[in-house]
Amino acid sequence: MTSPLKPPEGNWWDQPVDRRETIWLGLGVGWALVLFGWMSAFTRVGDQNPIGETYRVSAEEFRAKMGEYQDAGEETDEGLVPPGDDVLIGAGQFYWDGLPVVLEADRQYDIHLFAYDVQHGFSIRPEETLSKQINLQTIPGYEWVVPMTFDEPGTYRVLCNEFCGDGHEAMHGRLVVREGEQ
Amino acid sequence: MSTSSRHRLDVLGLFDNEYDEDGYRQCSVTGLDVHRSVENHVKLFGVTAVVWLLVGGLFAITVVGTRWEAIGLLSASDYYIHLSMHAWSMLLFWIVFVEVAILYVGGPMVLGRRLPLTKLAKAGYLVMVGGVLTIYYAIWTTSAPDQAPLLTAYIPLPSSPLFYAGALTFVVGVVIAAVPFFVTLWREKREKPGETLPLVTFGAFITGIIAVEALLGGVVAFGGALLWRLEILTFDPAAYRMWFWIVGHGTQQINLVAMIVVWYFLTHVVGGAEVVSEKVSRTAFILYLFFINMGAAHHLLVDPGISTGWRIWNTSYAFYGATLASLIHAFAIPAGIEAGRRKRGKGGGLFGWLTSAPWQNPMFAAPVIAIILFGFLGGITGVLMGQLQLNMAWHNTFATVGHFHSTVVLGTTITFMAVVYFVIRTMFMRRFVSNRLASLQPFLYGGAMGLTALMMMYVGILYGVPRRTPEVVANIPGTDFSLSAAEPLFVVFGLAAFVAIAGGALFVVLAVGSLLFGERIEPGRVDDSLLADGGDASLGFADGTELTTRESIDLSQDPDDPVHAYEMRGTFVLCLLFLAAFVITYILNWYLITQLWQIGA
Ligand code: HEM
Ligand SMILES: [Cu+2]
Repeated sequence: MTSPLKPPEGNWWDQPVDRRETIWLGLGVGWALVLFGWMSAFTRVGDQNPIGETYRVSAEEFRAKMGEYQDAGEETDEGLVPPGDDVLIGAGQFYWDGLPVVLEADRQYDIHLFAYDVQHGFSIRPEETLSKQINLQTIPGYEWVVPMTFDEPGTYRVLCNEFCGDGHEAMHGRLVVREGEQ
Repeated sequence: MSTSSRHRLDVLGLFDNEYDEDGYRQCSVTGLDVHRSVENHVKLFGVTAVVWLLVGGLFAITVVGTRWEAIGLLSASDYYIHLSMHAWSMLLFWIVFVEVAILYVGGPMVLGRRLPLTKLAKAGYLVMVGGVLTIYYAIWTTSAPDQAPLLTAYIPLPSSPLFYAGALTFVVGVVIAAVPFFVTLWREKREKPGETLPLVTFGAFITGIIAVEALLGGVVAFGGALLWRLEILTFDPAAYRMWFWIVGHGTQQINLVAMIVVWYFLTHVVGGAEVVSEKVSRTAFILYLFFINMGAAHHLLVDPGISTGWRIWNTSYAFYGATLASLIHAFAIPAGIEAGRRKRGKGGGLFGWLTSAPWQNPMFAAPVIAIILFGFLGGITGVLMGQLQLNMAWHNTFATVGHFHSTVVLGTTITFMAVVYFVIRTMFMRRFVSNRLASLQPFLYGGAMGLTALMMMYVGILYGVPRRTPEVVANIPGTDFSLSAAEPLFVVFGLAAFVAIAGGALFVVLAVGSLLFGERIEPGRVDDSLLADGGDASLGFADGTELTTRESIDLSQDPDDPVHAYEMRGTFVLCLLFLAAFVITYILNWYLITQLWQIGA
């Protein structure tokens, strides 16, 4: 009756289920709801969500936008100071267009992520604390605007973590966060 | 031996079991009526699979030798090619060839039928092998403008057109090879309309359906990419990602379900396990059928252009329906072992059923090691990284590689090694060249690979080490920045990985060695070392009678002694421990993510 190799006989559907197995089922359902509920609620109440508007843009359009943006920004020793709250970052084989960039701490920026040629991975971490790292995919044709507020000043390092061709290993960039003006 | 002279066309005496005039023989271990047509095709797919495992294992050496940058074996360009060879050999070729064998075991063998349409099975085999060789050739001869495909071949990064063609061929071959399985079930159902399929066959059926869904996704992904590469079609890279992951993740779901089927099968045959509730276990398989194909979404969590609602709904398999199914099996399988062994008088105390288990038998030890390591390392991390926000920390880091080596290596590969052992013993009828080493192998491989996977996860999460790059820890070309803080953990990683590779090599040596040099088990004789002690080996051999495992297996047919009446408290405690580990790692991962700066709208 209970061999997995034999057809079960009789009314196997109504066979009693062990009490402990029933409890486990209850725990399982409960845990599944916690997993779902927390993930879902965090998109509303949490501060770390991979969420932002996406626009369909061609590589030429993004390059043109990047040109205007760089002209309007201020070039310093440490990198570009953006003209406003928008920060443009374009990934290409094997460079990060728009980096290095100099930002202020505690100010919210709209980070525009884009890939010019093939897919790349935007992988960023503060140089001092490697465990504080996040990763976002960039796909040609899609401009993804993800708001970010860096609260700690320092140098942030950007690596490419999507294989983008022979040479991928050398693709890195820098983002400098300075104390805000207050 | 007289038998071999009777089968002159036989290769190395590997296909020479004796059958009655209808082509059947009774397996002395499982008691199944095995038809020659089924057995021979299972052997064919099973042995071929070991070849791909060997190839993939050889490339594991160069891959590890490069990622452990202290050794720094390969140049970057070579690295991507070697990594592609590793990924396709292992994840697709080794695993899928075993899976076809599992379908043939779960279907016709368990049902005691012959394999229908054997020509189609052979055609499927040849098409699959053709696909494999084409892919190997395409990867190995990659040259500009083409790039190594790695596993994913994300467009618009071009790979050789031959590569896409080979991938398409392989996928089509698998579908062809699966047809005889479905025809078997069709005929069985037509002949016995009122009868329920055995659990193992039912699970294999679910596996088959999920496989077909996944493989159709593969036809679109690889067929579309081929047309794109030949500049006949345009193909949006984001759309490719979705189609690719329908087959890419879909095949992982096949692995999962096939592996669970094997767990029910082997723990029953060699461990004396029973099904504690047909209703609950079958419901879990049905949950897989409905929900598991949403898994493709896991790979798109940090992609642009996909709505939040879609990502949450799909990554959670609609309220974690498929996760619940896995939690059910996580209880049902050990509970089956516990109750079955208690019923056979093998389980005193809380864990007596476990401590008395036949751990020296690799066909028992391997699946149980797989259940534990897959659950604790692969399953938990899969749910973690499948949460929308936590995925930001895991995506494309080395931790991802740690996760899927916990699933496809610690879970699937170890389980499938047990399948190969089982085929060698009960179908090729060969003893292992060394029982000692065969007992040791799953522990060596599982232990070392478990440590390797843990190190992968640590360096990925704690140091943000990316996957798929030959240089990042000791040196990043063109900058003074590097992730050198991760170096000590990479030493542990490298050493453990090489031990794991040795454990894998030991498996290949044992498998091939036993096929070629293993002592034959004469038909009708009981293979003592295979007798589960759930089957009372002592009784069987002490008085010279041929008590087979089968008699112990037959115990599970006793209507007056239902297994669900036996205690399952040991399993309950283990499951609570598992849930506790789950909750703790969940909280830790969330803690880490909330330490980050503000991200997202
Ligand atoms: C001793 C055994 C093994 C070792 C030491 C090993 C090691 C590795 C390492 C270090 C990577 C590295 C990656 C990177 O740079 O991202 C890798 C990738 C991979 N491995 Fe394994 N592996 C083993 C067995 C397996 C098995 C049995 C499978 C499948 C069943 C497998 C499937 C993969 C896949 C799919 C990749 C990803 C390739 C990609 O990024 O496209 N490995 N392995
Ligand atoms: Cu890149």
